[in-house]
Amino acid sequence: MKEKITPVKAIFIAFLVLYLLAMVFPLVYLVSASFMTEADLSAIPAKLIPSSLQIRNYVTAFTRQPIVLYVLNSFITSFLSVFICLIAGCLASYSLVRTRIKGKTLFLLFVLAISLLPTITIINPIYRMYSDAKLLNTRIGLSIISAVLDLPMTIWFLTAAFKSVPVSFEESAEIEGAGLSTILVKVYVPLLKGSIFSIGIIDFISAWNKYLLSQVLNPLEKARTVVVGLTLYQLEISIPFEIVSAASVITIIPLFVIVLLFQKNILGGLLDGGIKE
Amino acid sequence: MKRRKEVRGYLLLAPAALLICVLILIPTIETIYCSFFNYRTQMAALGMKFIGLENYVKVFSDSFFWDTFWWTIVFTAVTVALELVIGMLLALLMTKKIPGQGLIRAVVLVPWAMPAIVAGIIWSQIFAYNGFINNLLSALPFVQENYPWLGNESSAKVAVMIADIWKNTPYMSLLLLSGLLTINKEYYEAATIDGAGRWRQFWSITVPLVRPTMMVTILFRIISAMRVYDLIVAMTNGGPGGSTTTVSMYAISTYFTYGNIGYGSALSVMLLLVSVVISLFFVDSLKSRVR
Repeated sequence: MKEKITPVKAIFIAFLVLYLLAMVFPLVYLVSASFMTEADLSAIPAKLIPSSLQIRNYVTAFTRQPIVLYVLNSFITSFLSVFICLIAGCLASYSLVRTRIKGKTLFLLFVLAISLLPTITIINPIYRMYSDAKLLNTRIGLSIISAVLDLPMTIWFLTAAFKSVPVSFEESAEIEGAGLSTILVKVYVPLLKGSIFSIGIIDFISAWNKYLLSQVLNPLEKARTVVVGLTLYQLEISIPFEIVSAASVITIIPLFVIVLLFQKNILGGLLDGGIKE
Repeated sequence: MKRRKEVRGYLLLAPAALLICVLILIPTIETIYCSFFNYRTQMAALGMKFIGLENYVKVFSDSFFWDTFWWTIVFTAVTVALELVIGMLLALLMTKKIPGQGLIRAVVLVPWAMPAIVAGIIWSQIFAYNGFINNLLSALPFVQENYPWLGNESSAKVAVMIADIWKNTPYMSLLLLSGLLTINKEYYEAATIDGAGRWRQFWSITVPLVRPTMMVTILFRIISAMRVYDLIVAMTNGGPGGSTTTVSMYAISTYFTYGNIGYGSALSVMLLLVSVVISLFFVDSLKSRVR
């Protein structure tokens, strides 16, 4: 059954192809630029394929800044953030869906409202609070605030997930004498592990990409995350784009490995109505 | 037993509620409070001096604030409008069973997962004086010299908006797609039998049914566009001549470069107020989401 290609359809397909090319072009150009020489970058007409593979750009990227440390900091901060977010998020979602507390709607609206707050309205008090609590330049400090900012979308997503589990599952476990922690760990977590994993991945990417908070709260090298470390290559005037590209590629490799491996989970998470800023 | 369960409910909610109160609610109140004081970090010894609405009076007569304010509004309006149109087209295409559907959805995740800083770095190179676009154009016989895309106010603004549209359309389209996927196909079949055309079907079936999702998505995009920071920092750092500086960037430099906490807080509260006013237009859509 072959469908006729109408002009409208042709325009749609052209739009789609163009759009997809536009989607991937900046990434392709970045990866390609990271292997170029300076001459390649300023060649006329512009080059898309490097004339030779300059591995040296990566060597420079690794030596100019302690980027391995930055990547490690990003990993630790993002993992901690996901951990905090999932624990607090699961407990809150269970409570909102399965217990009879008052003010549920109010709490959900409140959570939604705080996700609309501009970061600049909290950043200075957080800075001062962290300064007093000795949390500046620590990975745990950054991960806590990062987790809180992602908590609204996590709670929204997980309440929907918890609702999907029939109450009877919990009731029968309760009759068998299971306590709350057993119910959560043995009934809900196994049933919802797909959803929890999906939102966890989305939280991870969100935490990894947080720039403003990381720049302000962790200015020192020891806890600096890689998105901030990346901008330091540019600050040195003499550092050319091919080195910055190499550093950028190092920054995004973990993200794109995750996207490649777990795209189904991410899409599932986003399509199930996860709100991400 | 029931009573115990209720207490347990509150206890389970406590970690999330506590985190939100301590790290979001209290800081927000503190910022509002600080905005009524003269408080500078370089003159910490002088402490905080209550000055009432003086910071706000200054904000209203600060022409640079109004520049950043209107630029933030224009940036938000243009990017969100275009992201909505392109995002909707893309979402409609993604509902079609066409070959490569999986690939299309995966590719769309590229800009979404990319840190805004990295996106800004790439686009700044594409628009740079000796960058990709100029090097392409220079190959044309009639192009005499390079154009400073990021060195000219209006083209820098357009460049920044293009980068933002690239970065955020996928998110818009995925959320719209999530709304589209819930629409029952039978509506379209019935409409086709009744002789309604595609265009008519789009406006009479698709738009009304996807409206709740669409409104919430638009609100979230508006709010996050209004606080744009990373992307522009990486692309133009607010230049040329401060023309691409957003309210967020102005507030951050007031806080941390000039150490003027009182005035920075007033700037932040202005952005907060605008966000609140915009959100009020969407209250009904938000309510339907809670139910």
